[in-house]
Amino acid sequence: MVMSAFRKMMAKARGLFGIPEKNADFETEIEDHLHMLVNRYIQQGMTPEDAHQAARRQFGNTTSLRERRREMQTVATIDTFGRDLRYSVRVLRRNRAFTGAVVLTLALGIGATTAIFSVYDAVLLKPLPYADPEHIVMLWEKKAPPSGSLDWVAAANFVDWRAQTNSFSDMAALGGANFILTGHGEPARLAGATVSSSFFRLLGIRMELGRNFLDEEDRLGKDFVAILSYSAWQNRLSGKPEVLGTTVTLNDLSYTVVGVLPPDFELVTNTSRNQPDVWVPSAQHIDMQKLSRGSHPFRVFARIKPDVPFNRMQAELDIIATNLSSLYPENNKGKGITAVSLHKQVIQNVRMPLTALLGGVGLLLLIACANVANLLLSRAAARRKEMAVRLALGASRRRLAQQLLTESLLLSLLGGATGLLLASAAIQILGRYLPADLPRLSALAIDLRVLAFTALISLATGILFGLAPLFQSRRRNANETLKQNARVVGGVQAGLRNALVVAQIAIALVLLTGAGLLAKSFWNLLHVSPGFRTEHVLTARVTLPASRYPDVERIAAFQSDVLERVRNLPGIQSAGLTAYLPLSGITNSWSFVIEGRPPLPVGTSNVADYRPVSPGYFETIGIPLVRGRGFTSADSESAPRVVVINESMRRKHWGDEDPIGRRLSFEGLPRTIVGIVGDVHHQSLDGETKAEMYAPFTQIPNTERRPTIVVRTSIDPGAVAAGLRDAVSGIDKALPLDQVETMEQFVSTAVSEPRFRTLLLVAFSILALVIASVGIYGVMNYLVSLQIREFGIRLAIGATQGDLLRGVLRRATVLIVAGLCLGLLGSAMLARAITDLLYGVSALDPLTFVAVSLLLAAVALLASYIPARRATRVDPLTTLRYE
Amino acid sequence: MILKTLEALGPLHGFGIARRIEQVSEAVLKLNEGTVYTSLLRLQQQGWIAADWGTSENNRKAKFYSITKSGLKQLARETTDWEQISGVIGRVLRLEGQK
Repeated sequence: MVMSAFRKMMAKARGLFGIPEKNADFETEIEDHLHMLVNRYIQQGMTPEDAHQAARRQFGNTTSLRERRREMQTVATIDTFGRDLRYSVRVLRRNRAFTGAVVLTLALGIGATTAIFSVYDAVLLKPLPYADPEHIVMLWEKKAPPSGSLDWVAAANFVDWRAQTNSFSDMAALGGANFILTGHGEPARLAGATVSSSFFRLLGIRMELGRNFLDEEDRLGKDFVAILSYSAWQNRLSGKPEVLGTTVTLNDLSYTVVGVLPPDFELVTNTSRNQPDVWVPSAQHIDMQKLSRGSHPFRVFARIKPDVPFNRMQAELDIIATNLSSLYPENNKGKGITAVSLHKQVIQNVRMPLTALLGGVGLLLLIACANVANLLLSRAAARRKEMAVRLALGASRRRLAQQLLTESLLLSLLGGATGLLLASAAIQILGRYLPADLPRLSALAIDLRVLAFTALISLATGILFGLAPLFQSRRRNANETLKQNARVVGGVQAGLRNALVVAQIAIALVLLTGAGLLAKSFWNLLHVSPGFRTEHVLTARVTLPASRYPDVERIAAFQSDVLERVRNLPGIQSAGLTAYLPLSGITNSWSFVIEGRPPLPVGTSNVADYRPVSPGYFETIGIPLVRGRGFTSADSESAPRVVVINESMRRKHWGDEDPIGRRLSFEGLPRTIVGIVGDVHHQSLDGETKAEMYAPFTQIPNTERRPTIVVRTSIDPGAVAAGLRDAVSGIDKALPLDQVETMEQFVSTAVSEPRFRTLLLVAFSILALVIASVGIYGVMNYLVSLQIREFGIRLAIGATQGDLLRGVLRRATVLIVAGLCLGLLGSAMLARAITDLLYGVSALDPLTFVAVSLLLAAVALLASYIPARRATRVDPLTTLRYE
Repeated sequence: MILKTLEALGPLHGFGIARRIEQVSEAVLKLNEGTVYTSLLRLQQQGWIAADWGTSENNRKAKFYSITKSGLKQLARETTDWEQISGVIGRVLRLEGQK
């Protein structure tokens, strides 16, 4: 069966290319046959004319024979397809307004879908840019219950894991670092990373230039080596291959450059803005095994051996965790180890919002399809006679269907092509407004995958809306259509149209509700009081290299010096320093002990977020002092140690007692509580506020080399940036200042992701509202035009204009209400699905539901009011004269 | 039928096949002879017959069709099928008759 089908196909394929020559053969063959028949009849005694006629009669219709042969020898569908295509182009060109409307609607739908899909694809679907990425996992320390949250990894724990596991072919640690590059123009801060020597091998990355780290370079030593990112090599250094083997000065130490990463390398766990420029072996400066197990500076990557199943690997990790827990109870008690696939790790935070966006834009596309289907239906009505004539002339229904489908596919492909243009423009714009915390945006582009997707949805939409008129033409009898004047509203057709309108309204309502809920959440988010005042505040970070600022004294001297100078700048009201700016995404928790309370059970402790700050910080950033005092310059290194706590911490640990004057200790140092300040949203605006404690920079044992300078200005904060820079370089020429931003910009970056999704969804829903109302308008308009004669008669026999208006609007209202009911159901389901994206709004927020329903109903009624008005303006005489 | 004809008489041209069918069916099957060519083309596409140019009895160039190996196989298959079916129908008819 297969073979014979194949042979037929081959014969047809041959026919496609070799027709002319074979046709000639065939003609001679027929001619000969006829000739012989004629001869035979003549021999039987007929006259030549009679013989000719008899022969022709016996042989049959030569034309239809030729046709059949042609059909058998050519690929019929391709051949007729060409004809259909030419015909379609003619039809569409004749009807420019119609074609324009359809193509534009489709282009909007397909363009928006393509643009969002390209983001979705780049972030969620594309395989990670590493070798066999599905075998790479990240390993996390899992805190003891009840917290159970995942934590970065202590250096010594990493060393133990690597030594004791069998499931992995490789394991590597990744830590952060900051470097100041000097000797190449202005001193510049470079984001750095410290990695195990096997890190790039594990990922399967080949260097653009030079080589990977050697294992012997990943231990304490004096010959420091570094690998540079492609952009650092190009922008900061010469960009020439001779860079290999030369030394660069980083934090006043010499590093030999051994390799340069390829330009497309991306550390997928970091955002696009946060890619390291300098990579150094992590054990170059530190003894990994001697670092405290209480400090967790590393992220750990591992490659699972191909034959090891995930659960066996996890079982092995569980055993090791139990061992480490009993060996080092003070830091590891109750802790587990959790493996998460790298891909899952990268996408876990963005999957939900992006999926919601893709769903939203898909709904928009559906509405556009419904509209186009409606337009096609109207046109099919106008073309009924054409179709009937063609049917009567002997076209098969299949051929007609093929013709209609060709037309709609042509439309959808035109729409798709235009949509692609729109999408590529949209991606350019999107690229600028995409939230900073989306990973993997470097992969964002219109590539083959996106093209394939666009082609696919174009075809799918073409078939989807092309089917509607097809479905109709099936049920029609050619005879009847030819007889009737197009004056009766066809039952089936009206039904389908009504269904389309109801669907459009329902989908538009779902989109509007989603957008409404997100917009309300975003509004709430913007109006969360962050606990500080953002206006007129400028922030900037400095990096103090260990070489020139080896100890607390030197750092403290720099800090008081810089504050002194900054405060004397014109336009500055106050200035302060902090280690971790709120909403910066950086935080650190410390355990503390309250004096005079019974000890807690082993393995548990009181924990609060800990932030070293300078005098002047609270008033500068606008954190209110509730009671007691803030820090002053009197709180020097030699003065009694003090601490300021926030309201949350007071409530949690002291309740109604007054904590001022009480003592607590952390980092092994006892401190007196001298003040209470207001709570701050440190992690995120939508998160809970946490217990926090502040200590002066001068009284902390560990050095803080990357403080943020915060200044409150009386003038435009942007205007003091240059002064700030001068003040810092006045103290130390080799200190770069980076991340110079106003606090407003800073907060705006922190809400960029919710803003992005809200804006987009609102845009989609407005577009949906417009398209859906155009759809309603079109349908009502059509219905009215079909009934014009009826209206004329009714007016003539005494109906008032109001009667007619009410009649039309009643029909519209039925559709709108049906759509709203369906839409509310859909919205409720959607709202439940996006609960995680909402803030300060319940998923079934009645206000939002009612408001968007009313809005949609009003717009839809307005859209049907215009054609209804037309119905009332009918002049009975004119309409009746149509007869 | 064409296959059977070609098997029995060897290579033939279209006119010959038409005559043979006319003769065998004793003019019971009165078809337009042109349709023979459609069938010939179909059989050719299936690969059951092959065509070759030769000279006809009255010295004209003509296309001669002959049966191929796979055509013979197909003929055998169809013959058994037909015999089975006609056998069954025959038995059924006989049963009817006995009633």
